[in-house]
Amino acid sequence: MGRVRRLVLDTLKPHEPDIIEVSERLSELPGISAVNISIYEMDRKVENAKITVEGENISYSHVLAIIEEMGGAVHSIDEVVAGKMIIDDAVTPQD
Amino acid sequence: MSPFRDVLQRVREYDDLANISEIGRRYFAMNAFDGVLTIIGVLMGNLIAGVDKPQIVVSTGLTTCIAMGVSGLWGAYLTEAAERKRDLDELGRQTLTDLNDTRIGRASRVAVVIVAVIDGLSPFLAALIVLIPFFVAGLFPTITWVYYTSLGVALLTLFGLGLFLGYISRKNLFFYGVKTVIAGLISIVISFLLGA
Repeated sequence: MGRVRRLVLDTLKPHEPDIIEVSERLSELPGISAVNISIYEMDRKVENAKITVEGENISYSHVLAIIEEMGGAVHSIDEVVAGKMIIDDAVTPQD
Repeated sequence: MSPFRDVLQRVREYDDLANISEIGRRYFAMNAFDGVLTIIGVLMGNLIAGVDKPQIVVSTGLTTCIAMGVSGLWGAYLTEAAERKRDLDELGRQTLTDLNDTRIGRASRVAVVIVAVIDGLSPFLAALIVLIPFFVAGLFPTITWVYYTSLGVALLTLFGLGLFLGYISRKNLFFYGVKTVIAGLISIVISFLLGA
């Protein structure tokens, strides 16, 4: 089976636990080398967070479990990179 | 990490999520204050009625303490549980997730229990402290001495509560202590005038 090396998720989460705690918990998962979380929208009670996770072998189900445990919900999987290395999407004339 | 440290860490996390300390402090101060003033009422009622047997004062006092404790525990449990469920459900609607089995859900449930226990114990213990002289009434020359000592303990407890409030609000401790003692004195004076 191919290895997932990068995941970019669009999530909605309550303010607490904060993104520091979420990133710490995610970074402790096996197969994950780094986590990047940025908030791009904030409401009175919730915030939209883009979660980027990179590693040697990411387990989506484990990542999802942590996000849900923290009270968050994954709205969409915006990007996935799998295989032997990480590549970015190719630029095409249509872009 | 040892199991005890684990539990402590977990409680700290839940405190961050559910604001347990802030609400706990508020309920503690409010209910201990209520407890002391209520028992001042019981003491003044017994004093004015001329009750001279310490056992009678102890039994009326203890039953009052227990009633306050049960009222505090039950009332706080039902109220906090209802409010927190409402908040959790609303948050769940916003995140489109069932939050019951998440850290926030667990923090909410722990908060309800801790706050209910504080709400039940604080008036019970505060009132019990005031009654202590009646448990050792034999050490006093007359029953009047016991009453006055008990009232003195009540005012001291109120002063201590005032100091606690002053410490929390980072204002003048003594000033807060005096404010809470005044409430006790007003209660005693009015009861005395009613009796006269």
